[in-house]
Amino acid sequence: MLDCNRMQRFALRRRAAAIALVVVTSTLTAAACGSSHGNTAKGPTTLTIGISLSLTGDFADPGKAAERGYQLWAKTVNAKGGVLGRTVTLKIVDDASSPNQAVSNYQNLINRDHVDLVFGPFSSLLTIPSSAVVNRYHYAFIEPAGGGPAVFAQHLHNLFFVQPAATVQGGMVFADYILSLPADQRPKTAAYPSLDDPFASPIADAVRQRFEAAGIRTVYKSIYPAETTDLSPIIAKVAAAKPDVVVAGTQSEDAYADVRAMIQLKWAPKWLFLSNGANSPVDFPNAVGLANTEGIFSSGDWFAGSTASGSAAFIAAYTKAYGGTADQIDSTSAEAYSCGMLLEEVAAKTKKVDNATIISTLHSGTWPTLEGNLSWDSSGTPQGSYLLEQWIGGKLLAVYPANRAEHPPVTEPLAWAGK
Amino acid sequence: MHTVIQALILGVLTGGVYALMASGQTIIFGVMKVVNLAQGALVIAGAYLSYSLFTSFGLDPFLSILITTPALFGVGAGLQWLFLRPLREEDRAELSLLVTFAVALGIEGVLSVTYKTTYRTIQASYADRSFSVGGYQISAVRLYAFLLSAALLGVLYLVLERTKFGRAIRATVQNPESARLLGVNARVVAAAGFGIGAATAAAAGAVYGLLYSFNSGSHYDLISRLLSIVVLGGLGSIGGSIVGALVMGVVASLVAALGPPIWSDFSFFIVLLAVLLLRPRGLFGASLRGAL
Repeated sequence: MLDCNRMQRFALRRRAAAIALVVVTSTLTAAACGSSHGNTAKGPTTLTIGISLSLTGDFADPGKAAERGYQLWAKTVNAKGGVLGRTVTLKIVDDASSPNQAVSNYQNLINRDHVDLVFGPFSSLLTIPSSAVVNRYHYAFIEPAGGGPAVFAQHLHNLFFVQPAATVQGGMVFADYILSLPADQRPKTAAYPSLDDPFASPIADAVRQRFEAAGIRTVYKSIYPAETTDLSPIIAKVAAAKPDVVVAGTQSEDAYADVRAMIQLKWAPKWLFLSNGANSPVDFPNAVGLANTEGIFSSGDWFAGSTASGSAAFIAAYTKAYGGTADQIDSTSAEAYSCGMLLEEVAAKTKKVDNATIISTLHSGTWPTLEGNLSWDSSGTPQGSYLLEQWIGGKLLAVYPANRAEHPPVTEPLAWAGK
Repeated sequence: MHTVIQALILGVLTGGVYALMASGQTIIFGVMKVVNLAQGALVIAGAYLSYSLFTSFGLDPFLSILITTPALFGVGAGLQWLFLRPLREEDRAELSLLVTFAVALGIEGVLSVTYKTTYRTIQASYADRSFSVGGYQISAVRLYAFLLSAALLGVLYLVLERTKFGRAIRATVQNPESARLLGVNARVVAAAGFGIGAATAAAAGAVYGLLYSFNSGSHYDLISRLLSIVVLGGLGSIGGSIVGALVMGVVASLVAALGPPIWSDFSFFIVLLAVLLLRPRGLFGASLRGAL
C-alpha cells in the first residue's frame, strides 16, 4: 500500500505539465493498485513449506522417513481442503546429511524461493546451524529431530522441537518407573556403560544421578569411544560387578553389541535399559534375535499402539500410502507428520499461518500431536516425558507411565538369563 | 584375575579374526608395494555378501565363504587391472593411496544404495552359543571365527610356500626385476596378489558380520585398525600381521577390562608407537621382508 500511495502522489505533481502523461500514469497506477487489492481480497491459493532433508548421506534412512511423514501430512491435509483453504506444497531439498548444505538450503528456500514457512531437517547436527539461520529471518522453526542439548542452548524463541522432551531426558521415565517400585523390590546396585556421544552418555548419567540420590549404589560406570566395535571386555567387567540393573547409554550398533556380549557371557542383570537401539521395532530384533529381546527396556516418543491424537488415522494413511504394517513405521515419520499437525492447529485457532502468529501461538497452551500433548519453554524445549517401552511377547510395547501404557511392565528375567 | 583371563581369551580370539583381514592387506603391500585403503571396504563388502546369502538362501556364513572368496578374488583382480595397473611404477606408491581410497568410497556408495545405511548383523543359529570352560565363557562364533582364520592363514602359507604360484609371488616380493628375468609374469602376479588380498577380505567379512553389526560406513574404523596392525607387524610380513593383530586384540581387551574403556583403542597405538621407536620397520619388517 505504501508503494501505491507514493505512485499516486507522483502522478498528481505532474498533472499540469502533461495531462496525457498524467492520464497514462494514473491509469498505470490504478491498474497496479487494483491488481494488488485484487490479490489481497482473493488471497494466495497455495502455502509453500520449505524443508531441507537428508535424502542421501549418513542420515539418508531417517531423512527419508521424515520425508514420508511430511509428504503424508501434506497429502492428508490437502485432501481435507488444505490449510485455511490454501493447498500445501512442500519444497523438499536434499542436504546430503551436511550441515553446511542444510544452511545453504534454508537460505535459498527463504531468500530465493520465498517459501511461506519452513520445517526442520533431520538430526541435531543439522538443526543447530539451520535454526540459527532461520531465526535470522524470523521464520518459525518447527522441527522433528533436533533434540540435543546444543539445540536448546541457543535459546531461540522461534524453535519448537516436536517430541515429548529433550533427548537427554530419554532415561528419566525408566528412573520414574524403577523408583515407583516398593523399596524392597528396587535394585540395590547399578552399572552404567555408555557410548561417548551427546545423545547416549548424558541419558545414562541423568538416570545415575537420580538412582544414586535414591540410594541405588553405582558399581560400574564407564564411557567407551564411538570406534569400539567389540563390547565384550566391557560387558565382562560389568558382569563381574554383578549389578542388579544396567542402564546403558547407547545408540544402535553398541546396543546390539551389549546384548550379544551378555548372551555370550551367559550373564543378565535383572533390569536392562538401553537408551537407543532397542527402541527400533524392526532393526533391534533383526540384530539380536527376536527371542533375545524379551524384557529389555528402552524409551520412545511414538509407537504403533499409541492412543495419541490422530495416531490411528496416521497409521491407516501411512500403511495405505507406503504399505507395510504399523510396527514397521519409523517414529521419525510420526515426528515429521506432527510438525504439520501443529501448523494445522495454529491455523484453526488463529485463522492465520504467518510466522509471527505461529511463534507466539505455540508458546502458550498445549498442542495435541502424535507425540502426545506438547508444550515448550522459551527455548523450544518440550516439557513432557518420553514413554517407557519394553519388549514383551516379541513386541515393543509402551509400559509406563500407566495412563499411556499398553501393558504393565514385566519383571520376568531377561530371555537368556539362567541359560 | 577372572576378569583378566576372560579378557585375554576375548583378546586372542578377536585378534585371530583381525589377523585374517590384515594378512590380505600385507600380501597386497608385499607384492605391489601398494597400501590398499580399500581393504576395509572389501571386508564390509564380504560381510554384506555373506549376509545376503544367509538371509536370502539360508546359507551358513562359513559355507558362504566358498562363494564369496572367489567372487571377491575376481573383484580384487579386476580392480587392480582397472585402476592400479595403469599407474606408472615410480608413482604407484603415492597415487595408489588416492586410487584405493577412491575405490573404498565407491564400494561404500554402492553398498549404501544397495543395503541402505541400517546396521546389519548375521544372526546364525549358533550366534548366541558359548562354551563354559573352567568358569570362563568362550563364544562359539568367536572360536569358530578364530579357527577359520587359523585354517585360512595355514592355506595361505601353503600356497605361498609350496606352490609354483606362491614362489612366483614371493620372488616378485623379493626382487621384481629378477623375477621378471626368470619368466614370472609380474602383471599376472600383481593382479592375483590383489585378488588374494580381496579374497581374504571376503572370508574375514563373513566372520566380521557374525561378530559385529556393520553398515557401509564401517570400513573407516576397520582400515585404521588394519593399517595399524600391518605397521606394527612390519609391512609385507604375514607373520608380523598375525602377531600385530593378536597384540592389538589382547591389549585393547585387557585395557577395556582393567581400566577406562575410553583408552582401550588408544592403548594399542601407544604400543604401536613404542615399537616403531625401537624398531621403525615394525616387529618383523626387517628380518622377514621378502619372505612374506
